[in-house]
Amino acid sequence: MQNKQTISLQNKISNSVKLSEFFAECAKEYEISTDIYNDLRLVIEETFVNIASYAFAQEDSHTVTVEAKRTPDKISITFTDDGIAFNPLTDPTGFKDTDDHCEGGMGIRIITSLTDYQEYNRIGKTNVFTVTKYYTKPDNTLK
Amino acid sequence: MSLEIVITPEANNGKRILIEGSLDSNTSSNLQQSIDANINNSVKTTILDFEKLEFLSSAGLRVIFKVKKRMENNGGKFLMVNLQPQIIKVFEIIKAIDSMSIFKDQAELDAYLKVIQDKVIDGE
Repeated sequence: MQNKQTISLQNKISNSVKLSEFFAECAKEYEISTDIYNDLRLVIEETFVNIASYAFAQEDSHTVTVEAKRTPDKISITFTDDGIAFNPLTDPTGFKDTDDHCEGGMGIRIITSLTDYQEYNRIGKTNVFTVTKYYTKPDNTLK
Repeated sequence: MSLEIVITPEANNGKRILIEGSLDSNTSSNLQQSIDANINNSVKTTILDFEKLEFLSSAGLRVIFKVKKRMENNGGKFLMVNLQPQIIKVFEIIKAIDSMSIFKDQAELDAYLKVIQDKVIDGE
Protein backbone atom coordinates (compact mmCIF):
# COMPACT_ATOMS: atom_id res chain seq x y z
CA MET A 1 0.00 0.00 0.00
CA GLN A 2 1.24 3.45 -0.90
CA ASN A 3 0.89 5.88 1.98
CA LYS A 4 1.19 9.02 -0.08
CA GLN A 5 -0.53 9.89 -3.35
CA THR A 6 -0.44 13.10 -5.34
CA ILE A 7 -2.39 14.73 -8.14
CA SER A 8 -1.71 17.98 -9.99
CA LEU A 9 -4.64 19.91 -11.45
CA GLN A 10 -5.14 23.09 -13.37
CA ASN A 11 -6.82 25.82 -11.32
CA LYS A 12 -10.30 25.30 -12.77
CA ILE A 13 -13.25 24.71 -10.47
CA SER A 14 -14.46 21.97 -12.82
CA ASN A 15 -11.35 19.98 -11.88
CA SER A 16 -12.89 19.29 -8.49
CA VAL A 17 -14.51 16.32 -10.24
CA LYS A 18 -11.07 14.84 -11.05
CA LEU A 19 -9.94 15.59 -7.52
CA SER A 20 -12.96 13.79 -6.10
CA GLU A 21 -12.22 10.74 -8.27
CA PHE A 22 -8.59 10.82 -7.14
CA PHE A 23 -9.61 10.88 -3.50
CA ALA A 24 -12.09 8.05 -3.99
CA GLU A 25 -9.18 5.91 -5.21
CA CYS A 26 -7.06 7.00 -2.24
CA ALA A 27 -9.89 6.09 0.12
CA LYS A 28 -10.07 2.57 -1.26
CA GLU A 29 -6.32 2.18 -1.08
CA TYR A 30 -6.15 3.53 2.45
CA GLU A 31 -9.22 1.54 3.59
CA ILE A 32 -10.70 4.51 5.38
CA SER A 33 -14.23 4.40 6.76
CA THR A 34 -17.13 5.73 4.72
CA ASP A 35 -17.78 8.42 7.32
CA ILE A 36 -14.24 9.78 7.14
CA TYR A 37 -14.28 9.51 3.36
CA ASN A 38 -17.52 11.52 3.14
CA ASP A 39 -16.13 14.19 5.48
CA LEU A 40 -12.84 14.55 3.65
CA ARG A 41 -14.42 14.45 0.21
CA LEU A 42 -16.44 17.50 1.20
CA VAL A 43 -13.44 19.24 2.78
CA ILE A 44 -11.39 18.66 -0.37
CA GLU A 45 -14.12 20.05 -2.61
CA GLU A 46 -14.54 23.16 -0.45
CA THR A 47 -10.81 23.79 -0.18
CA PHE A 48 -10.04 23.28 -3.87
CA VAL A 49 -12.94 25.48 -5.00
CA ASN A 50 -11.82 28.20 -2.58
CA ILE A 51 -8.25 28.08 -3.90
CA ALA A 52 -9.30 27.96 -7.55
CA SER A 53 -11.70 30.86 -6.97
CA TYR A 54 -9.47 33.24 -5.03
CA ALA A 55 -5.77 32.40 -5.21
CA PHE A 56 -5.27 33.39 -8.84
CA ALA A 57 -5.92 36.27 -11.16
CA GLN A 58 -8.69 35.44 -13.62
CA GLU A 59 -7.61 33.67 -16.82
CA ASP A 60 -4.24 32.78 -15.33
CA SER A 61 -3.41 29.10 -15.69
CA HIS A 62 -1.72 27.58 -12.66
CA THR A 63 -1.32 24.20 -11.06
CA VAL A 64 -2.71 23.11 -7.73
CA THR A 65 -1.04 20.02 -6.30
CA VAL A 66 -2.93 17.89 -3.82
CA GLU A 67 -1.23 15.25 -1.70
CA ALA A 68 -3.15 12.71 0.35
CA LYS A 69 -0.96 11.14 3.00
CA ARG A 70 -1.88 8.38 5.38
CA THR A 71 -0.09 7.59 8.61
CA PRO A 72 -1.19 5.02 11.20
CA ASP A 73 -3.25 7.54 13.15
CA LYS A 74 -4.36 10.17 10.64
CA ILE A 75 -4.88 11.34 7.08
CA SER A 76 -3.47 14.65 5.91
CA ILE A 77 -4.39 16.44 2.70
CA THR A 78 -1.98 19.14 1.52
CA PHE A 79 -2.81 21.71 -1.16
CA THR A 80 0.10 23.54 -2.76
CA ASP A 81 -0.16 26.34 -5.33
CA ASP A 82 1.80 29.30 -6.62
CA GLY A 83 -1.01 31.83 -6.51
CA ILE A 84 -1.14 35.04 -4.52
CA ALA A 85 -0.86 34.64 -0.76
CA PHE A 86 -4.20 33.11 0.14
CA ASN A 87 -5.29 31.18 3.18
CA PRO A 88 -8.33 29.05 2.27
CA LEU A 89 -9.69 29.69 5.76
CA THR A 90 -10.17 33.37 4.97
CA ASP A 91 -13.32 34.38 3.14
CA PRO A 92 -12.69 37.19 0.63
CA THR A 93 -16.45 37.77 0.37
CA GLY A 94 -16.71 38.63 4.07
CA PHE A 95 -18.20 36.12 6.46
CA LYS A 96 -21.53 37.01 8.05
CA ASP A 97 -22.88 34.55 10.55
CA THR A 98 -26.53 35.41 10.09
CA ASP A 99 -29.70 33.66 9.08
CA ASP A 100 -28.86 34.54 5.51
CA HIS A 101 -26.67 31.57 4.63
CA CYS A 102 -26.03 32.94 1.15
CA GLU A 103 -23.49 35.34 2.59
CA GLY A 104 -20.53 33.00 2.28
CA GLY A 105 -18.34 31.42 4.89
CA MET A 106 -20.15 28.10 4.81
CA GLY A 107 -17.24 26.38 3.09
CA ILE A 108 -14.83 27.53 5.78
CA ARG A 109 -17.12 26.31 8.52
CA ILE A 110 -17.35 22.94 6.79
CA ILE A 111 -13.55 22.65 6.49
CA THR A 112 -12.89 23.51 10.12
CA SER A 113 -15.75 21.37 11.45
CA LEU A 114 -14.85 18.21 9.56
CA THR A 115 -11.10 18.20 10.17
CA ASP A 116 -9.10 18.11 13.40
CA TYR A 117 -6.30 20.41 12.36
CA GLN A 118 -5.67 23.04 9.67
CA GLU A 119 -2.42 24.81 8.87
CA TYR A 120 -1.58 27.47 6.30
CA ASN A 121 1.92 28.64 5.42
CA ARG A 122 3.27 30.98 2.78
CA ILE A 123 6.60 29.50 1.76
CA GLY A 124 8.41 31.72 -0.72
CA LYS A 125 5.88 32.23 -3.50
CA THR A 126 3.91 29.13 -2.63
CA ASN A 127 0.73 28.59 -0.61
CA VAL A 128 0.79 25.40 1.44
CA PHE A 129 -2.44 24.43 3.19
CA THR A 130 -2.84 21.19 5.10
CA VAL A 131 -5.91 19.67 6.74
CA THR A 132 -5.64 16.66 9.02
CA LYS A 133 -8.22 14.20 10.24
CA TYR A 134 -7.41 11.50 12.72
CA TYR A 135 -7.95 7.97 11.50
CA THR A 136 -9.95 5.32 13.26
CA LYS A 137 -10.09 1.71 12.24
CA PRO A 138 -13.16 1.40 10.04
CA ASP A 139 -16.23 -0.66 10.80
CA ASN A 140 -17.69 0.01 7.38
CA THR A 141 -14.79 0.06 4.95
CA LEU A 142 -15.47 1.73 1.63
CA LYS A 143 -16.00 -0.95 -0.99
CA MET B 1 -20.60 12.56 -10.19
CA SER B 2 -23.44 14.27 -12.00
CA LEU B 3 -26.76 15.65 -10.79
CA GLU B 4 -30.09 14.39 -12.05
CA ILE B 5 -33.10 16.66 -11.53
CA VAL B 6 -36.72 15.59 -11.88
CA ILE B 7 -39.47 18.14 -11.23
CA THR B 8 -43.04 16.91 -10.84
CA PRO B 9 -46.32 18.60 -9.90
CA GLU B 10 -47.80 18.22 -6.43
CA ALA B 11 -51.28 19.00 -5.14
CA ASN B 12 -52.35 22.60 -4.50
CA ASN B 13 -49.91 24.36 -6.81
CA GLY B 14 -46.93 22.48 -5.47
CA LYS B 15 -43.76 21.21 -7.11
CA ARG B 16 -41.44 18.42 -6.08
CA ILE B 17 -37.78 18.59 -7.06
CA LEU B 18 -36.08 15.21 -6.84
CA ILE B 19 -32.31 15.56 -6.92
CA GLU B 20 -30.00 12.59 -7.45
CA GLY B 21 -26.22 12.38 -7.30
CA SER B 22 -24.00 15.29 -6.32
CA LEU B 23 -25.05 18.90 -5.71
CA ASP B 24 -21.72 20.70 -5.80
CA SER B 25 -19.75 23.50 -7.45
CA ASN B 26 -20.06 21.83 -10.86
CA THR B 27 -23.75 20.97 -10.74
CA SER B 28 -25.39 23.66 -8.61
CA SER B 29 -25.95 25.92 -11.64
CA ASN B 30 -27.99 23.13 -13.27
CA LEU B 31 -30.32 23.08 -10.28
CA GLN B 32 -30.55 26.86 -10.28
CA GLN B 33 -31.55 26.86 -13.96
CA SER B 34 -34.18 24.17 -13.40
CA ILE B 35 -35.64 26.11 -10.48
CA ASP B 36 -35.69 29.35 -12.45
CA ALA B 37 -37.51 27.60 -15.30
CA ASN B 38 -40.05 25.72 -13.18
CA ILE B 39 -40.66 27.49 -9.89
CA ASN B 40 -42.56 30.69 -10.61
CA ASN B 41 -44.70 32.87 -8.36
CA SER B 42 -47.75 30.62 -8.83
CA VAL B 43 -46.01 27.75 -7.04
CA LYS B 44 -47.16 27.72 -3.42
CA THR B 45 -45.15 24.79 -2.10
CA THR B 46 -41.75 23.55 -3.22
CA ILE B 47 -40.62 20.16 -1.91
CA LEU B 48 -36.94 19.34 -2.32
CA ASP B 49 -36.56 15.56 -2.19
CA PHE B 50 -33.06 14.44 -1.12
CA GLU B 51 -33.70 10.69 -1.20
CA LYS B 52 -31.10 10.04 -3.89
CA LEU B 53 -28.69 12.88 -3.13
CA GLU B 54 -25.31 11.55 -2.03
CA PHE B 55 -23.20 14.70 -1.81
CA LEU B 56 -23.88 18.34 -0.94
CA SER B 57 -21.36 21.18 -0.83
CA SER B 58 -21.66 24.88 0.03
CA ALA B 59 -22.28 25.73 -3.63
CA GLY B 60 -25.39 23.55 -3.50
CA LEU B 61 -26.41 25.03 -0.16
CA ARG B 62 -26.45 28.50 -1.70
CA VAL B 63 -28.96 27.39 -4.34
CA ILE B 64 -31.14 25.77 -1.67
CA PHE B 65 -31.17 28.90 0.50
CA LYS B 66 -31.92 31.03 -2.53
CA VAL B 67 -35.02 29.06 -3.49
CA LYS B 68 -36.11 28.95 0.16
CA LYS B 69 -35.90 32.73 0.34
CA ARG B 70 -37.73 33.10 -2.96
CA MET B 71 -40.58 30.87 -1.78
CA GLU B 72 -40.89 32.66 1.56
CA ASN B 73 -40.82 36.09 -0.08
CA ASN B 74 -43.77 34.96 -2.24
CA GLY B 75 -45.69 33.67 0.78
CA GLY B 76 -45.04 30.05 -0.16
CA LYS B 77 -43.52 27.09 1.63
CA PHE B 78 -40.16 25.40 1.10
CA LEU B 79 -39.98 21.85 2.48
CA MET B 80 -37.17 19.29 2.47
CA VAL B 81 -37.64 15.53 2.77
CA ASN B 82 -35.66 12.27 2.85
CA LEU B 83 -32.28 13.74 3.82
CA GLN B 84 -29.55 11.14 4.19
CA PRO B 85 -27.32 11.29 7.31
CA GLN B 86 -24.33 12.80 5.47
CA ILE B 87 -26.59 15.54 4.09
CA ILE B 88 -28.15 16.32 7.47
CA LYS B 89 -24.63 16.63 8.87
CA VAL B 90 -23.87 19.46 6.43
CA PHE B 91 -26.95 21.41 7.53
CA GLU B 92 -25.97 20.81 11.15
CA ILE B 93 -22.46 22.15 10.58
CA ILE B 94 -23.73 25.45 9.24
CA LYS B 95 -26.38 25.54 11.98
CA ALA B 96 -29.27 25.72 9.55
CA ILE B 97 -31.37 22.83 10.84
CA ASP B 98 -33.64 25.00 12.96
CA SER B 99 -34.40 27.42 10.15
CA MET B 100 -35.43 24.73 7.65
CA SER B 101 -38.64 22.69 7.37
CA ILE B 102 -37.22 19.16 7.29
CA PHE B 103 -39.25 15.94 7.17
CA LYS B 104 -37.55 12.63 7.76
CA ASP B 105 -39.65 10.72 5.24
CA GLN B 106 -42.65 10.91 2.93
CA ALA B 107 -45.09 9.76 5.63
CA GLU B 108 -44.10 12.63 7.91
CA LEU B 109 -44.38 15.07 5.02
CA ASP B 110 -47.79 13.69 4.00
CA ALA B 111 -49.07 14.17 7.54
CA TYR B 112 -47.93 17.79 7.51
CA LEU B 113 -49.43 18.47 4.08
CA LYS B 114 -52.74 16.92 5.17
CA VAL B 115 -52.96 19.34 8.08
CA ILE B 116 -52.31 22.25 5.72
CA GLN B 117 -54.89 20.97 3.25
CA ASP B 118 -57.50 20.47 5.97
CA LYS B 119 -56.98 24.05 7.11
CA VAL B 120 -57.60 25.25 3.56
CA ILE B 121 -60.76 23.15 3.29
CA ASP B 122 -61.99 24.48 6.64
CA GLY B 123 -61.39 27.99 5.39
CA GLU B 124 -58.84 28.91 8.05
